Amino acid sequence: MNACPENIIQLMNDHLDGDTSPSEEQQLKEYLESCEDCREQYQALSKTVAFIQSISHIQAPPNFVQTTMERLPKEKQRAGVQR
Amino acid sequence: MDALVNKRIAKVIKGDQNAFAEIVELYQHQLYHICYRMLGNKQEAEDIAQEAFMRAYANIRTFDQNRKFSTWLYRIATNLCIDRIRKKKPDYHLDAEVRGAEGLNMYSKIANDDELPEEELMRMEVQERVQYEISRLPDKYRAAIVLKYIEELPLAEISEILDLPLGTVKTRIHRGREALRKQLSNL
Repeated sequence: MNACPENIIQLMNDHLDGDTSPSEEQQLKEYLESCEDCREQYQALSKTVAFIQSISHIQAPPNFVQTTMERLPKEKQRAGVQR
Repeated sequence: MDALVNKRIAKVIKGDQNAFAEIVELYQHQLYHICYRMLGNKQEAEDIAQEAFMRAYANIRTFDQNRKFSTWLYRIATNLCIDRIRKKKPDYHLDAEVRGAEGLNMYSKIANDDELPEEELMRMEVQERVQYEISRLPDKYRAAIVLKYIEELPLAEISEILDLPLGTVKTRIHRGREALRKQLSNL
């Protein structure tokens, strides 16, 4: 697994970042077809990305805006108190 | 979106606190989510996300309205998260002996704190496990991974939020991804 060439690892990473040109993509694809170790490495990284992206979005607690506003310094009363 | 936000910022600067409530309303979920994934704890995430909004409020005049507000806000929040993470892990002398544990030094203590036993890991739900592994990443990789994969931000924006050159951001994402690949290999 560690024998993958440095430039291919770089290409894998760039590809996972969405940062490869079509010709680089082709180069990576061809290489992956020829090397099982690299293919496994690439698949493992893709799987990792899928796992990270699978964690769901969570929301702030329902009273978040209110409690945040309560923590702000009190508003300066410029024009006197309005009733 | 940004024109709308800038309008509210102008009101906040004039002293209208309600306009700031609308800004909090707009960004609360994203900001809370970033903090939660960085810190792995709901109370802390709420505390730090609120702290970030408070700082944004206090420094609203320094925000350059030609830029994206979310970038500025996320930067405040990630810095606060990183500070919090560093405070939680005090800078021990690693080779000092741990009191009450003869022969154990900080290396072994940290290793123990950091890794749960295999059988416990296997019992975790996938989501919980991924969060656990993210929270074991060194903070500098963690921030890059969270912004890239949880918030799905473009690399250029991450580089602005973390105030790092693009190349450094890429390296951190690559290393973070590689570390997670190893940590999640038994999943």
